[in-house]
Amino acid sequence: MFKYLNPLLHSELRLGIMSILISVEEADFVFIRERTGATAGNISVQIEKLSEAGYIEVEKGFAGKRTRTVYRITEKGVGAFEEYVDALKSYLNINQ
Amino acid sequence: MEEKMLNEKESLELISQMILNTRKKMEEGNGMPFLIWGYATFIVSLVVYYLLSTTGDYHYNLIWFAIPVLGSGGMYFSKRKEKKHSKTYIDRIIVNIWTVIGIAGLLVSCAAFFVRIPVLPIEMLLMGIGTALTGLVIRFKPVIISGFVGMISCALPFIIKGYEQIIVFGIVFLIMMVIPGHILNYKGRKKHV
Repeated sequence: MFKYLNPLLHSELRLGIMSILISVEEADFVFIRERTGATAGNISVQIEKLSEAGYIEVEKGFAGKRTRTVYRITEKGVGAFEEYVDALKSYLNINQ
Repeated sequence: MEEKMLNEKESLELISQMILNTRKKMEEGNGMPFLIWGYATFIVSLVVYYLLSTTGDYHYNLIWFAIPVLGSGGMYFSKRKEKKHSKTYIDRIIVNIWTVIGIAGLLVSCAAFFVRIPVLPIEMLLMGIGTALTGLVIRFKPVIISGFVGMISCALPFIIKGYEQIIVFGIVFLIMMVIPGHILNYKGRKKHV
């Protein structure tokens, strides 16, 4: 039976951001922009959605005199990501 | 990348591609910490050797504490210049390894003022362990080998007597940290080309 595909993760940019954050301990905005190649405005909107869902946490700080925002995936985010990958496997008939 | 829906196959491809790209980016070598601590130890060793061998005044042993001062200062400026945009689990493991090794090294140095202990071999063994562990974590052979060379070299101060031990100590750090540091940087630069 096909599993439920979380609509919050089933979009290119949000899934890209989550895939980056699951591979690192933390990343800043510049890193995410470089890796995804998306516009700053678009990234901000998607990060806001992921943050509201409790999938990522946002920490605002300073690097020297400049502001630097760091993003981390939360436990809830890891769980949602794992469920999403499991659901994908059920659609693609990949043995679990 | 934009805000669009993907089919299942595209989603899975995107996940594996992003994870792979991020991992590749993380594997870029950074030998700066090894260079900073290696050169700091080597230079301080030469200074201590010169002052002790010419004056015989044991108070000059206090100059050893210039190593953590130079090392920490160098690390502070290097980090400011580096502008790192992400931190991995590997970064955290390495920081924790060196925090423990650093504290142990500092405790041994402080204890040597109260108890007669062979400081130089203990420091070489500790730093060798830290280097070998770092090499194993980042999976980089030159660092693993140099770490074990450092650990084995801790026997040298028992064979070589007198102030010459200090010179040997400095040279071991040159081999254990400076050489793999330069190799790491060279590999990192090559990946950028």
